[in-house]
Amino acid sequence: MSPRPRRIRLEDWTRRYAELRAAGLSEPSYGGPLERHVLDGDLRLPKLLYDDSPAALRLWNFLLTEEDRLQAARAEGKKLVGAMKDLGTVPVMAWSLPGVVAFYPDGAWWIPCVMELSAGLLAVADRLGVDESFCPVRAMLGAFLTEAHYPIPDLLTCNAGAVCDDFSAIAQRLAGLGHPVLWWESPHRRRPDPGEEAVELPGGFTAPRGHVALVREELARIREALGRLAGLPLTDERLAEGIRAANRVRRVLRELRDLAYTADPCPLPALEMLIAEMLALHFCSDREEALAVLGELLGEVRGRVAEGTGVLDPGAARIFWVNPVADLSAMNLLEDCGGRVCGTDYLFSHALDEIPGDLEPLEALARMAVADPMTGSAADRAERICRDAARFGAEAVLVSRIPGASHCATEGRIIGDAVDRSLGLPVLEIEVPPLIDSVRAGISGRMEALVETVRRRRRA
Amino acid sequence: MITVAYSDPLVPPEWIRAHGLRPRRLRAASVARSPSASLTGLCPYAGAFADRSAAPDLDAVIFTTACDQMRRVFEIAREAPRPAFLLNVPSTWQTRAVHAHYRSEIERLGRFLESLGGSSPTGEALAAEMLRYDERRRRLRDLAGRLSPRAFARVIARHHETGEVGGEDPGPTAGPGAVPLALVGGPLLLDDLFLFDLVEERGARVVLDGTDTGLRTLPAPYDRRLLGRDPFGQLLASWFGVIPTVHQRPNALLYRWLAERFAETPVKGILLRRYVWCDLWHVEEERLREWTGLPVLALDEGAEGRARERMVQRLEAFLEMLA
Repeated sequence: MSPRPRRIRLEDWTRRYAELRAAGLSEPSYGGPLERHVLDGDLRLPKLLYDDSPAALRLWNFLLTEEDRLQAARAEGKKLVGAMKDLGTVPVMAWSLPGVVAFYPDGAWWIPCVMELSAGLLAVADRLGVDESFCPVRAMLGAFLTEAHYPIPDLLTCNAGAVCDDFSAIAQRLAGLGHPVLWWESPHRRRPDPGEEAVELPGGFTAPRGHVALVREELARIREALGRLAGLPLTDERLAEGIRAANRVRRVLRELRDLAYTADPCPLPALEMLIAEMLALHFCSDREEALAVLGELLGEVRGRVAEGTGVLDPGAARIFWVNPVADLSAMNLLEDCGGRVCGTDYLFSHALDEIPGDLEPLEALARMAVADPMTGSAADRAERICRDAARFGAEAVLVSRIPGASHCATEGRIIGDAVDRSLGLPVLEIEVPPLIDSVRAGISGRMEALVETVRRRRRA
Repeated sequence: MITVAYSDPLVPPEWIRAHGLRPRRLRAASVARSPSASLTGLCPYAGAFADRSAAPDLDAVIFTTACDQMRRVFEIAREAPRPAFLLNVPSTWQTRAVHAHYRSEIERLGRFLESLGGSSPTGEALAAEMLRYDERRRRLRDLAGRLSPRAFARVIARHHETGEVGGEDPGPTAGPGAVPLALVGGPLLLDDLFLFDLVEERGARVVLDGTDTGLRTLPAPYDRRLLGRDPFGQLLASWFGVIPTVHQRPNALLYRWLAERFAETPVKGILLRRYVWCDLWHVEEERLREWTGLPVLALDEGAEGRARERMVQRLEAFLEMLA
């Protein structure tokens, strides 16, 4: 039997890395010891806890070298597409074309955490009048202005309409600074009226046919723009192949989530699972490698589940986590408090569902885009959270508020009421800023109380 | 008569009126006394509108998606027994697809109005209501330069509530050498009218009301030659993609409108009326400063105690600086 997997600190990884290398570890080109990223300015890394597997090492190295890949792609003459406020639609289209690389500029929202504010991105946003009353994604403005974290893309798209006002405002500010944006509309998703033609969406909801038709026309404009950029038409055949490739990623991720969120003891930490889920959105600037990274992670988890081992003690309180966190260490903290993540809604559940493969490609993508939880009501979102929380056997739900985000003022109560009504589970709402250090004690105390509530309910 | 309340300028009142119902564009009086307005992270105006819309003098409420906070407040308002409707207003306006979507949404609004007891309007009835409103808006525009800024703001507020225009004392004329200011931003509260007086007492004058409750958000005049042939098409053509709003992407129409007004009426400073947690207007503050090169004061207000006093103090200091 292999040694029991553990969560380890960065300094432990240094020793572990040497051991793995000595034992013949084979790494991809972006591999190497994790501590080198600290020298690049990723100052948060020494304060995190990591899974100790080679698969996790590859995952972290893949994540932390995205900027290098984008620079290399630019140097190779590939076209870069920045897909803003778009969790999983335009990237699938862009990756369907040879010579085109899509990435997710909004991902800059983690830079203030990972670099512990040393990059000054939030200060740049402040100077542009985008202060802390906005969601931490305002760091993206700093990333564009400094050009220190990713190259300026050749094409910048942004979803508009039924999206959060924070991002819409920030993207408008970016456009006002001279970055041309191709906006595409998403209507607010509602249930079809009686007698109105309905379309079933991935994830189980339905929407009016007209909504899907509108988004499909919008995506047709994106298709044209991508074709012009690539100098090649984005044909149905190319799109269909792109969808198949995206679905391969989603299928691997689905099995990974099913195992990681249900097996006891917990086979993979919440932090690595968060990053794994993020890969499904834009493939971290290399679709095939993303699939390989996830595949290795899945292999690791399968092995642990088969051996009955995990990174946490058996019986950890099973918490369903709602919303992404700006400070990655919050995921560690829950586990430190005796909890474990079993199920998530990071606001992109539609990007985890398979894209329908039996439909005309643009129709399939439009249906997926309409299923975006951001475009629907909080009640719809709560319904899916309840469904997924029940499926994963959650014992409590944690709603992590995003500071300043326009959807967070009201959704917590709606989700909490729905969870209470349909599952009778305790709900905790916390707010996670880009660095939780100053509020760690308060968050930790509330997480401990939630875990204790779960334990008390088990005893009852 | 059944009263249907709304707040967003992209809801055409003549469409409601043509269904035989009474439209009433509501303004919150204040954000300080509203329970929902104090929810952390919630735009106090959206919260105050939701609270106001629950009053018994209203029979139904229309929210729109032009503001994410209003879209989400609709979910809370929907829990009340009063019928509520969410009108999807696209942010982009450049494609036929979004125009068609707005059309389908206005048609859906019509079905909602019928469900309240309204009757589907004939083309003639709709055209007649459109003409009536068009005439009132023409009178509104004519009054713009002839009334004091406060008196004109009262006329607009009354027009929003009742559809009528007029009956206002012209108010004092501008003092010599008054510093011309623009007032832009989100909707004015009913309690905000004192701002006009305060500005004038300090030797300045609001010469342009570019708030969401000012002239900027009036629809384009109808083409009367086409009104008899296709009134519904004319309604859509004058409302969607024409009214400059901050939520449009890009919001180039808003800046074009401001550029035209500033060319006609130069100003020496800008007052930006916005509410805490209103991202859409907040983000424009610095951009306005950069774009105009003028001093900009954000009249930002939350629901917390003494917010208004602080806002007034800052306004006084700003006016002193300009004088």
